[in-house]
Order: sequence, then structure tokens, then C-alpha cells
Amino acid sequence: MLDFFPKQFFLFDPLSIFFLCVIFVVSFPSAVYSFGYLKGGYSPAKITLAWFLFFIFVLSMAFVVTVSNVLVFLVFWEIMSLVSYFLVVFDTGHEKSIQAGMIYIVMTHIGTAFLIAAFMMMYKFTNSFDFNVIKDACQTMPVQTRNIIFLLLLAGFGTKAGIVPLHIWLPYAHPQAPSHISSIMSGVMIKTAIYGLIRFVIFILGVQSSWWGILLLVLACITCLVGIIYALMVGDIKRLLAYSSVENVGIILLGIGLAMFFQSINMPYLAVFSMIAGLYHLINHAIFKGLLFLCAGSVYKATGTRDIEKLGGLIKKMPQTAVFFLIGAMGISALPPFNGFVSEWLTLQAFFLGALNIMGGARVFLVICAALLALTSGLAAACFVKAFGVTFLALPRSNYAKEAKEAPFSMKAGMLFLSILVILFGLAAVKIIRLLAIVASSATGFDISSMSFSLNNFILSPQAGKNVYLSVPLLAVGLIVLGGACFAVYKLFNKTKVRIYKTWDCGYYKLNSRNEYTATAFSKPFRIAFSFFLLPYRKTQKIRESFYHVKSFVYETHTTPVFKKYIYEPLLASVFKAAKSMRSIQLGSIHLYLSYIFVTLLLLIIFMR
Amino acid sequence: MQGMILFAILASTYLMIIAKRMPALIRSFRYQSFCLFALTLIVALDHRQPDLYVVAGLLFVLKVSLIPYLLYRIIKRTKVNEDLGLFINPQLSLLWALGFTYLSWVFSAHLVISEKTALTSFLAVAFFIVLTGLFLMISRMSALAQIIGLLVMENGLFLLASTVSGGMPFFVEIAIFFDVFVSVLIMGLFVYRINKLFTHIDVNKLSRLKG
Amino acid sequence: MAKIIIIIVQLILFIVVSPVLSGLISRIKNNIRMRKGQGILQPYYNLAKLFSKGEVVPENSSWIFRAAPFVVLASMLVAAALIPVFISRSPVFQAGDFLALIFIFALGRFFLALSALDTGSSFGGMGASREMFISSLVEPAFCMVVFALSLQSGSTDISSFGSRHAISVSSITAALTLFLVAIAETSRIPVDNQETHLELTMVHEAMVLEYSGRSLALIEMAAYVKQMVLFFLIAQVVFPACLPVGIIIAAIAVALVEVSVAKMRLFRVADFLGLAFVLGVVASVCAILGV
Repeated sequence: MLDFFPKQFFLFDPLSIFFLCVIFVVSFPSAVYSFGYLKGGYSPAKITLAWFLFFIFVLSMAFVVTVSNVLVFLVFWEIMSLVSYFLVVFDTGHEKSIQAGMIYIVMTHIGTAFLIAAFMMMYKFTNSFDFNVIKDACQTMPVQTRNIIFLLLLAGFGTKAGIVPLHIWLPYAHPQAPSHISSIMSGVMIKTAIYGLIRFVIFILGVQSSWWGILLLVLACITCLVGIIYALMVGDIKRLLAYSSVENVGIILLGIGLAMFFQSINMPYLAVFSMIAGLYHLINHAIFKGLLFLCAGSVYKATGTRDIEKLGGLIKKMPQTAVFFLIGAMGISALPPFNGFVSEWLTLQAFFLGALNIMGGARVFLVICAALLALTSGLAAACFVKAFGVTFLALPRSNYAKEAKEAPFSMKAGMLFLSILVILFGLAAVKIIRLLAIVASSATGFDISSMSFSLNNFILSPQAGKNVYLSVPLLAVGLIVLGGACFAVYKLFNKTKVRIYKTWDCGYYKLNSRNEYTATAFSKPFRIAFSFFLLPYRKTQKIRESFYHVKSFVYETHTTPVFKKYIYEPLLASVFKAAKSMRSIQLGSIHLYLSYIFVTLLLLIIFMR
Repeated sequence: MQGMILFAILASTYLMIIAKRMPALIRSFRYQSFCLFALTLIVALDHRQPDLYVVAGLLFVLKVSLIPYLLYRIIKRTKVNEDLGLFINPQLSLLWALGFTYLSWVFSAHLVISEKTALTSFLAVAFFIVLTGLFLMISRMSALAQIIGLLVMENGLFLLASTVSGGMPFFVEIAIFFDVFVSVLIMGLFVYRINKLFTHIDVNKLSRLKG
Repeated sequence: MAKIIIIIVQLILFIVVSPVLSGLISRIKNNIRMRKGQGILQPYYNLAKLFSKGEVVPENSSWIFRAAPFVVLASMLVAAALIPVFISRSPVFQAGDFLALIFIFALGRFFLALSALDTGSSFGGMGASREMFISSLVEPAFCMVVFALSLQSGSTDISSFGSRHAISVSSITAALTLFLVAIAETSRIPVDNQETHLELTMVHEAMVLEYSGRSLALIEMAAYVKQMVLFFLIAQVVFPACLPVGIIIAAIAVALVEVSVAKMRLFRVADFLGLAFVLGVVASVCAILGV
């Protein structure tokens, strides 16, 4: 029977609690931040509405990760999607909000349709909506059904998580929301999709075919690279961050995909280890992406523009925000001793251990995945050098940037909290990994009592007895001590004076902000190197005063949005074409429409005989 | 007794099909509703169910008196041609109706496995009324015919529900009545507006609204 | 305590010895080119000169510009501390492994690129952009080297692959890859040219264009240390028996490459590093196959 009112709605296993932590770790500072952010920019009624939607949004996410019933899960999933839609179109002043909201709501509902299909199939085989009952019943499910359900779940959750090529909505929707919401959407909401994948695929369905993990790894690699390459190309700081979210989802899924792969070939230690790597990157990404979006919001509020080509020099106007952004950027570029470094190291280590310990051709595959991850992290560093360097360093490129003011206290408090977490999650890696091991064991169902991931409280040691160690505190101490020593030596030779003078200008008359390297110029080598994928094109135009004198020169460069142009537009066109061909039966006559119904009814009756 | 009323319902439905002008159609609808009321009353007397009395009362108040009255009023106020505008002439419509009768008889015989012929005939008539309602909506040009068609379908459904399943739950019944009443009001208003705008209520000419 | 002394000695060794490698390379190049050339100790004179000179800080820059030299040098020294020199394993081997080295190099590079952007000059931006471009393509190749070597020894411990017995196809290929990586990372021809001051071709030099005096000395020092770390790794792979000889061989090889090929256009560098990456993958596959 349908158990519409199950006795137990909620499930508080370590996995759910972990995701609850992720939600609140980002939502709390975002809430604090929004005090300052909303003030001044919106009418009081709108601020109230923003708070109302904010709370429903956070609550719905909290419910999504804790309910233990498929139907209730879907209900909260939809609430989450709808409320986030309202938040995307919240800034109605933006001309693109409505369009972004449209793309978002269409994509998210396509995703939900896949989910509903998957849940229907599950119900058909298990006759229950309760997680635990389904989990037990899934043990006897035929392989074919299992595969189909997996693919449906992957498509459904993949849409929400932003797996390429289903990521299309993410760079539109995330930047349009108010910044504290962007930080939650990018930091947390897309993680609920990862939760869904872990909960339904690994926990409930159970991975038995190894191609699941491999498929996910392939998708994750593509997602990483596509995300970061696009992030390098764009000049809108929030879009850049949104694309970087796509990349980071890819990195998270590398960990999760590896865990699935190892689960299917029954290697408990590696499965748990990879899962830890994935979950670690998940919470790390929630923290630094939340932080970066909040910083981007401060910049936007202070300058009124998100185009980094118009910014610059903000480190002098907004020194604290700049430091917060730098910490976030270092975290996301995986630089030691911050948190992103630990999780990327763990992921690479998981790949290495996999390549070392498994058999067959998959080893080469894992090695190549690891190389792609390394490429991604190199590109990410480049991307954030661009983002930080062009936004905050050198001279302001416009009057908006010249007149920027530091963010108010509440906004800084929110950013400070997350910055501290970025550092803390790097330094306290061992403690966190021990906690994550519990989560990973509850998700994968493997016993961790005999597994050890650390030497002591400061040193990670994933390969016991093999002398592989990582100690972030030690690295941090080393960097500080050696940096201090360098500084001491520098000060020791203090006999000569330091002069502050103009930047060398090649004998040019006066150096100004127009001589600075722009973000577009910065990304040009990448644009050319990846031109096979980005398909860049440029327009140049000389405006001449006479034959000899060129008055001005117009240069534009764009990249072709490959996925939009070659996947979505043809798809949309075919849908429209089908709709157009259906128009021939739409003649505008009510009588005709009624007769369609009538004929159908008659046919049904006749058919019944 | 019930058989006779059933026959009366059938007859009134046939009257509707051959009606050429609006008052005739409304009158036939009134007959049909009255027969339905009588049927409900008899069932109520048989079963001694208090809520059925209420339903019957509502039937009388709404469908026999109020709605026909409203429809008459619309005709008067819009002052349009009282012709229904037939796509299919009465003779041919009658043939169609005979076809429907046969079809619904066969269909209900197929549905009801047991030997309860009474139930079969009830079912058949109910289906027939539903089909006729739809047929009226299709084959008459006037917007008023659409309203009445809808009401006739509702009558058919009511008959179906009350005979086959011993009536719908009381509150559902009340809600449906209310629904129908409100829809008549709204559609009446629409017809009035359409007339004001286009000086006719010929639905056939309202074909510009398409994608 | 002994550990700390070893570490300090090791770092001092790196600081003291590393400049001579550049001097050596430069000397060899000049000799091949039939020039008299500078003395092998010229880098020391340069450093001494820089330390005694005044410093000019561009007015557009911020604290990032001032802080970058310390971060860059500190990260290179941390990298230097991680590799085993005197004893079979670095005393601070627990701080990080071979994989961590990739990220530590990235830290220095990140700050150097930021400091270049901080000056507000076009050259800085150009250098930063190109450096990040090259380094992002270097990283997968470097990662493949790490994988190839670690797959042979069974762990990503830096000291473990020095203790292998036989030299295999995989380690030769890995060393070759590492050599290409070192060329790119130490801004040598054909990727970059240390000697050039032609604005449009320089990469590393463009980034540090605004530095002068002591800050420049620190940054040069960082470059020397990085070079030595990379040569050290190469030596450990191909010539574990006698590391100094291996390092000198690597230096000679770099010099030979520098005099015998022309500098590539920036976008050809992608092909060059693509070759390095493919070699790295080959090395890893060989390591997996056990040859």
C-alpha cells in the first residue's frame, strides 16, 4: 500500500548530518552578510521578502538532506527549486534576470522529471517510498533496471549539480541572484544534488557495475575542464565564480565517482578514501565558493558593476575584502596551506592509490584522469590570478572602482567567518578526515574500524606503512618560518633606501589604467590554446580620419558557446519544429477542438468493446 | 417508476437534439433536470437518506429553476438571433443520437457483467447523455449551446454517479452543484461580453485566437 | 634537534650552491658559442650587488608586491626542505610528499603572477598571463612524472624512488619528461629566455620587471632554488648513485638544449608541453606495465 504517512519521516545518519553542517556553515555567514548587503539596495518590503525566501530556501535544503521518504524528498526538492527560482529573479531590475530564471526553471524541471521517472521505477520494484525499505528491496533488483535507474538519477541530479552538458543554467542563474543567495546556491544548493547521488546511487541502490563509476569519472573530467576553461574566458566576476562551481563539482564528482568505482570492485579502503576526498572537497568548495561569492557581492555593492574589466585597484579601497577574496582564491586554487590543497591532494592520492592497487586497463584511465585534474588545478590557479589580479590590483579602470568603499561590518563579519574556515579546514585536516571517515562509511556501508588515515593529530597518512604523509600545519609553519627568515634577511640589509616611484612606462608619456593588462588579454593564451573547443572569433574595425591616420580601433573577441550552439539550440529548434507541425491541427475553432475530444471519446468507447 | 423516468430523461435528451432554437433547448434541459430531480427524490425516498433530499432539493432549485431562468435572461438581454445555428441538421443529429444510444448501450452492457439489466440501462442512458452533451457543444454554433452542452454532460455524470455508485459523497455533490452554478454565471457573463464586443455569439466565428 | 640542524644545513646548501648552477649553465653556453663569457660565480656577484642597491617600488602597487618575494622564496625553500639530501629521507618528510610539491610550486607562482599584475604595467600582465598559461600546461606533465615514479616505488614518498635498484624504461622516460618540465619551469629556451630583455618575448623576466634591489635578489634566489630542486629530482631518477654528478649532467643538458634550439613562439609552447605530457603518460603506462 501507499504509505503516505510513514511513521518516520527523518533520517539522521552521518551523511545527512554532514550535509546539514554544510548547509548551515554557509547559510549562517550569508545571513549575517545579508544584513549589510540588502540594506540600501532594496525597499523594506523587498528586504522582508528576501529574508522570508532565504529562510524557506535554507529550510527546504535542510529537509531535502534529512527526509527519509522519496515523496517527501521530492516535495522539498521542488520547494527548494521554486524558491531558488524566485531568488534568481529577485533582482527584477536586471534585464537578464527573467531570462536566467527561465533557463533555470526549465532545466531544473527537466532534471526533476528524470528524478520522478527514477523514483517511479524504484517504487515499481520495491512498493515503498521509504529509504530503508527501498534499500533492502534494491538488493534483488535486476541489473537492467538498476542501470536505467542509475542513468535517470545521474541525469536528474546531474542537472542540478551542473554536470556538463547539463550545466547550461548554472552560469546564468547563479550570478543573477543577490550575492548572499548566489553563495548559497553555488556553495550549497548544487551540493544537495551530490547528496542525492550519494544517497540514492551509493547508499540505496548500491554500486555493482564498475561502468557506473567510470562513466561518472569521464563526465567529471569533462565537467572540470569545461567549467574552468569557460571560467577563464568570462569577464563577469559572478559568472566566473559560477563556472568555477561547475569545475569544482567536477572535482567533487571525481572523488565520488572513484568511490563508486572502488565500491563496485569491492575495495573498501579505497572506496572510503575516495569518498572522503570527494566529501572534503565538497565542504571546502561550499566554504570558499561561499566566501568568494560574498566578496564578489561586496565588490558589486561598492562599485555597481560585476565586469572585472571595469574594476581594479580595489585592494586599496577595500583592503579587508581583498584579503578575504585572496584567501578564498588561494583556497580554490589549491595552494598550501589552505583547504582546497588538502582535498585536491587527497583526490590525486586516491587516483594514485587506485592506479597502484587495481588491475587491468582501468589503471591507465585513472592516471589520465589524475593528469586532467592536475591540468584543471593549474587552470584554476590561472583563473583566480586573473580574477584577483584584475579586480583588486593595480589601478582602477573606471570611476566606479575609484569611488569604491569598504563593505560594512556585517558583510565583513560574514566573509571573515568563512575566511577563518578556509584556513581552519586546511590546518585541521586530520580532525576533519576522521569525521568524514564516519560519513563515508555510513554512505558506502564499509566498516572503517580497521582503517587509519592519519599518523597523529597533525599528519595525514593515507598509505599506512608506505611513508606517504602530508602535514598542513607543518607546511604552514615551514612557510611562515622561512618567509620570516627571508624577511629577516631582507631587513638585515636595510642600509639602502626604498623609493616609491612610477612604474616603468617604456618612456611612454604617462602610464594610466588603460595601459594595464585586461582580463581578456590575460586569458588570450588560453583562448588560443583551447580554440578547438572555444571557437573564438574576433571583429576588428579601423575608424579612419584619413588614409594615413587611424582615429580609433575597435577590437572585439568572443568565444562560441559550444553547448548552447550545438546542443541546446538544435534541440530547441527541433522542439519548435515539432510544435509548429502540430499547429496544423490548431485552427482556432472551438467546435473542432471539442470534436477532437469527442472523437477520442468515441474511439475509446469503441475500442473498449 | 424509475424506468419511466429514465425513459422521460431519454426523451427530453432527444428533444434537445432536435431543438432548433434556444428557448426550445432550454426548455428541454429543464425537463431533463426535472426528471433527474424526480429520480433522485425517488431514490431518496427508497433509501431514506437525508443528504439525498438535500441534493434533490438543490437539483430542483439550481437546475430546474435558477439556471434555466438565467439562461432565458441571457437570451433576452443579448437580444440576438435565437437560432442555435446548426452544423448538423435535426434529422441527421437524430441519426447521430440513435448511434450514440446504441453505442452507449453496447458499452454499458460490456461494462456490467452481471445480469442487472436495470443498472445497464441506467448506465447506458447516462453515457448517452454525456455523449449528447458533447455532441451539442460541437454541432451548435451558438455560445449558449456550449453552456447547455456542458450542463447536459454534468447531468449525465450526475446520473452515472447517483445510479451506479449510489451517489457521490455529499460534499462533493454540493461542490459540483456550486461549481456548475458559478460556471453558468461566468459563462453567461462571457456570452454577454462576447455579444457586446462582436454583436453575435456565434462561436464559429471566434477563430482568430490561435498560435 | 639534529633534524633541525640537518634541515638548516640542507637549506643553506641549497641557497649557497644553487646560484652556481646558473653560472655553470651560462658558462657552458658561452663556451659552446665560442665566447669568453662570464665567470661561473657571476650569479653571486649579481646577488651581492642587488643586496647593496636601493629599491624602487612602483607607486601603483600594494602590499602584494612587497610580500610576494618572501612568499615565493619561502615556498621554494619549503620545496627544497622536502627532498632528501644528506640522509635517505628529508627530516621533514612528514610535511608533504611528491604530490604536495606540485602545489607548493604553484603557491610561489601564484604570488609571483599577482605581484606582476600589481604593478599596473602591461609587461607584468603579459608575463603573468604567459606564466600561468605555461605552468597550467606543465602541471599535468609534472603530475604524470610523479605518478610514473611513484607507481614504480609504490608510494608518493619523494625519498622512495631514489632507492630503486634498476633503471627502467619508465624512469628514463619520466626523467626525460621531468627534464622538459624543468626547462619550462626554469624559463629556459625554447620555452622562455632568461637572457632576453626584449619585452615581447620574455615571460619570467616580464613578471619580475619592476623588482629591484633586495626584492629582486630574493626572487632570483627563489628561481635558483627551484632550478636546483628540479635538477636534484632529475639526478635522483637517472643517477641516484652520485647526485652532484647527476645535477651537473642535467645542467649541461639544459645548456646544450639552450644553444641548439631556437625559442618557440608562445603558442608552440603548448605543443612542446603536450609532448612532455604524452611522454609523462608513456612513463606512467610503462610503470604500470612494469618496464
